[in-house]
Amino acid sequence: MSRFAALRGIRLVAMRELIERIRSRAFLFSTLLLAGLAVVVALIPLGVRLFDRATISRVAIVSAEPGLAAYAAGTLDQYLNVRLEAGGSTRQFTFETATDEVAARNEVLTGHFSASITLVRTPARGLEFRVYSSGGLGTDRAQLLQVGAFAVGILDWTASQPSTVSPFIQPGFEVLDASTGGASGAGAMVAVDAADYAGRRIVGIVLVVLSFLTLVFYGMWVASGVVAEKTSRVMELLISAANAEDLVIGKILGIGIAGLVQVLLVLVPALLALVASSAIGDAVLGPGSGVSTSLGALSPALLGAFLVYFVLGFALYAALYAAAGSLLSRAEDLQIIALPLSIPAVAGYFPAVLALSGSSAWFIRVASFVPFWSPFVMLSRIAVGRAEAWEVAVSLLLLVVTVPVVTLLAIRVYRAGVLMYGQPPTLRLYWRAIRGG
Amino acid sequence: MSLVIDHLSKRFGAVKALDDLTFEVAPGQVFGFLGANGAGKTTTMRIAVGVLEADAGQITWEGRPSTELPRSTWGYLPEERGLYPRMQVLDQLVFFAQLHGVAPDRARREANAWLRRFRAEDLATRKAEQLSKGNQQKIQFIAAVLHEPPVLLMDEPFTGLDPVNVMLLREAFLELRDRGRTVVFSTHQMEVAEALCEAVAIVDRGRMVVGGSIRDVRRSTGRRQVRISVAGDHRLPWLAAVPGTRVIQAGMDRTAVELDEGVEPDAVLAAAIAAGARVLHFELADPSLEQVFIDHVGRPVDEEVHLAPDAVDAADAPAAEALA
Repeated sequence: MSRFAALRGIRLVAMRELIERIRSRAFLFSTLLLAGLAVVVALIPLGVRLFDRATISRVAIVSAEPGLAAYAAGTLDQYLNVRLEAGGSTRQFTFETATDEVAARNEVLTGHFSASITLVRTPARGLEFRVYSSGGLGTDRAQLLQVGAFAVGILDWTASQPSTVSPFIQPGFEVLDASTGGASGAGAMVAVDAADYAGRRIVGIVLVVLSFLTLVFYGMWVASGVVAEKTSRVMELLISAANAEDLVIGKILGIGIAGLVQVLLVLVPALLALVASSAIGDAVLGPGSGVSTSLGALSPALLGAFLVYFVLGFALYAALYAAAGSLLSRAEDLQIIALPLSIPAVAGYFPAVLALSGSSAWFIRVASFVPFWSPFVMLSRIAVGRAEAWEVAVSLLLLVVTVPVVTLLAIRVYRAGVLMYGQPPTLRLYWRAIRGG
Repeated sequence: MSLVIDHLSKRFGAVKALDDLTFEVAPGQVFGFLGANGAGKTTTMRIAVGVLEADAGQITWEGRPSTELPRSTWGYLPEERGLYPRMQVLDQLVFFAQLHGVAPDRARREANAWLRRFRAEDLATRKAEQLSKGNQQKIQFIAAVLHEPPVLLMDEPFTGLDPVNVMLLREAFLELRDRGRTVVFSTHQMEVAEALCEAVAIVDRGRMVVGGSIRDVRRSTGRRQVRISVAGDHRLPWLAAVPGTRVIQAGMDRTAVELDEGVEPDAVLAAAIAAGARVLHFELADPSLEQVFIDHVGRPVDEEVHLAPDAVDAADAPAAEALA
């Protein structure tokens, strides 16, 4: 009977908590806000591409020699706008021939052109590129133009030479798939490693930030829920009707489910936005625009790992927050404990960010097993594809073992703390509560 | 089998909240637990419901110690009133009843019945934060009795209620008693206890002072009272001739006269007749509980000076000291 009663207590407390949370206005607004933010974040890659397109450098080419300007424009376009994949390119320049040098230079000043090149034939049959710019050309693009000028010069020179036994042959240039060694197929990413890795990092950052924020956020829900029960003085009625275990576990469960609901309500529209952004990108930028990069990294396995680490991590942090809240008397005191309580999470956040940048230093490997940190650090390693299966299994096992231990300690503190009023929350007080049970 | 408070001791740091407290409550009684603030009433109830642990001694019901009894044995109205502020009244009542194992539909039915009898049906869908203090108290009382516990432990249930609600609550107590429940309530209002209880225990600073049936307790000081009513002069000038008597309550109708130990009531009657007063009414009575309390404890019940460190906030301090 007692086992059944315990489950009943946990279920009732959890249900009450869940319903109260989900019905609250704060839940509605924070969900709307977070979902909106997530959709915006998901659409950022698309926005960046659109913005990038707008910053393609338009360069005017003027030459007194007939045909030279058009020839140079064609050559520059061929060499500087690399064809990355079938149908797509990293288009950085548009070259247009112009006839009036002064007008072209004026249009540089108005911003219509990023630069204007006046191509002059020197007496020694060489070529001189005079590039007029007013800050619209970055150093990297200026450098690219110089390389392009070199190519134009070589080709121009070879054309003027009498044919020889071994004429100048244009060097071959082809972008290949690093993993297969073959030419990249239609729609596939070129330079797979770099692009895919960048996508994985973006997804990893989003997931780590999301779990960091939500764990601390929902943790505070637990703490403030406990404090509210104390300040509204419903606590005494509560603990005379149910035992501390039911109250702590039920509260963690109820708020955890509410949090999970919110995370899903935030993630699903964001994922839909990612899927849609690929289609939007194709429509606006032409097929194969490469907008869907980040979606490729968001595998179901990674999402699954995120949810598992979120659930276990939440259970762990929520127990801490419940214990901390139980010793407070006033809602204002929540401010005092908020910072120290977030320290373990912050301490795990930094190795997580380092792990995302591909580092596998020893302290990151260690941190990825520590239960309070593994929800961030191991998740990062999984996101960038640098975690072995056994490492994930060990970190999960450690979490699964730690959660009940910390929860039991939290229940001890809670039992002693809930009827305590008026004492400032000091570490000594918590220690005594754990010891004294 | 009865409710036994068995040599209960509890110390909070330097303060002895309970000092070998012992008394017994017969089943089916309305029992008054009397004492000033800080006397140990709240601590005793908290030990019974398992919120606190005793240092020594135990509380038993039907022979079983409280630590082994299911929580639903007790219907507890804490002195610290509190409900979930944003939860609807009916939902809270059902929630607490369910925690005690009552099926939800039954809890709903019972809760509605109680709301009706407290003339508070309209409160069912209100949020607790919208209720007046008195109404919150009624809701908490219902929360304490919905699971039909055999023993009710009510900490200061009448404090803060208006006369109409005091009457409703008293009727509820008596009805619960008639249904076989044991009702223990603490109070520092002696008149309430006098009107309602079959037996009382007076405690002071965690120690038992006197306990038993109302009649025994009232006679425990050895003092007696007569109530007399005479035609003519109500000031009873002839009473000066009887040593060891004093008017404690003068009135047009009845005058209460207290007699010191050893003074016979007959002496008062004799003096009246000797003085030629026409006696309309003469009655022997016991002193009021208030008087008994003063005699035993040495001060009135609502005088607050005594306790050492935790006198500031009697309800908070014991728990705050629990870790010391």
